Amino acid sequence: MRRSRLALTITFLAASGTMLLHSASAAVESEEVRFENHRFVPQTIKVTAGKPVMLKVTNASEETIEFESFKLNREIVMTPHETITVRLPALNPGSYDFYDDFHQDVPEGAIVAK
Amino acid sequence: MIKCPQAFVMGLLLFTPLLCPHQARAQLDPWEFEVYPYATEPRGMLEVETDNAVVANGHSQGGNGTAAGTFRSQAMWYNGNELTYGLTDRIEGAAYLNFAQPSGHGFWWAGDKFRLRGRLFDQGTLPVDLGWYLEFEYHKTPQFDDAAWELELKPIMEKDFGPLSLIANPVFEKVLSGPGGNQGFEFGYRNGVYYRWTRYLSPGVEFYGAIGLIDDNDPLGEQQHYIVPVVWGELPHGIEYNVGPGIGLTPGSDHVFVKFNLELERFVGAIFGPTLERSWFF
Repeated sequence: MRRSRLALTITFLAASGTMLLHSASAAVESEEVRFENHRFVPQTIKVTAGKPVMLKVTNASEETIEFESFKLNREIVMTPHETITVRLPALNPGSYDFYDDFHQDVPEGAIVAK
Repeated sequence: MIKCPQAFVMGLLLFTPLLCPHQARAQLDPWEFEVYPYATEPRGMLEVETDNAVVANGHSQGGNGTAAGTFRSQAMWYNGNELTYGLTDRIEGAAYLNFAQPSGHGFWWAGDKFRLRGRLFDQGTLPVDLGWYLEFEYHKTPQFDDAAWELELKPIMEKDFGPLSLIANPVFEKVLSGPGGNQGFEFGYRNGVYYRWTRYLSPGVEFYGAIGLIDDNDPLGEQQHYIVPVVWGELPHGIEYNVGPGIGLTPGSDHVFVKFNLELERFVGAIFGPTLERSWFF
């Protein structure tokens, strides 16, 4: 009796975990940004507030850049033609900066969560 | 001096569940009042850093407060100089040259440190971002410590709540040569709460402490515990700073010190290529 209850509990937890993981991955929003001609394109990325975001960043230039966001606590060096995926948590409504920390003359971009 | 008010002790209990008094002598690294975040130095980046702490109100006898050797801590200036390089997207290596100016004794070389630090998985993959830290320390004995070589291990944990970052660095330290070499690991902590306000000026609070051997803690009054309100941010030319006063919370702590850390990082070129997709360690 006790053993079957334990098996049932484990099955329930495993099923819940799988469902949670599945629903979590399904709820993720995907966005893309490219660095080319010494600027980020697009410069403003609109995302849904309250949803995690997978941001694909491509450095399409011949320069090494540092994709950085102070507000989002992200800092990643990117060599020419490198693509990375930045995982962002569900954001509160607002504007979140991102910039190339190696080149101060590159216009700053923004992720706007609404 | 603050005599361990209950609220502070309760706060410390949250960060150090192992606080329960016994015997032995704990120490804390005064050359580096710094809390390590999950993020490592980016691949190919070189960082030059100077960590400083001046004991404004300390102890007049060696072996007390932040002084683990024969020099006294009162008016001691600890100066650590660190060179860190981002080996891969997940691992950095660093070497330190530590100096100190004990009151009335000129400028001394106090030891060296060598370490590797890494981050596990991509940021945001796990509910709490995790990292690791492995360090070998050499101290000039007996002036600055009674043990020549020590090993330090630190798991690194970070969790962001919007603009707030909570960082915990539990410290596990083992004497490799010198008195205490036959004993087990000591436990300490370096924790911080930071608010990202602006790139140039943001507030935070750091907590440092050491309780002695894990299985044989120092009496609470002899342990060191500090609370350090800090401001941090970026200065012109990319120089980053972290400054604040440290306030001792127990009689065994120095009463007041001031820390000021400065760092500058530049891209110098990567040895290794980008981290592979699905890689979690290297």
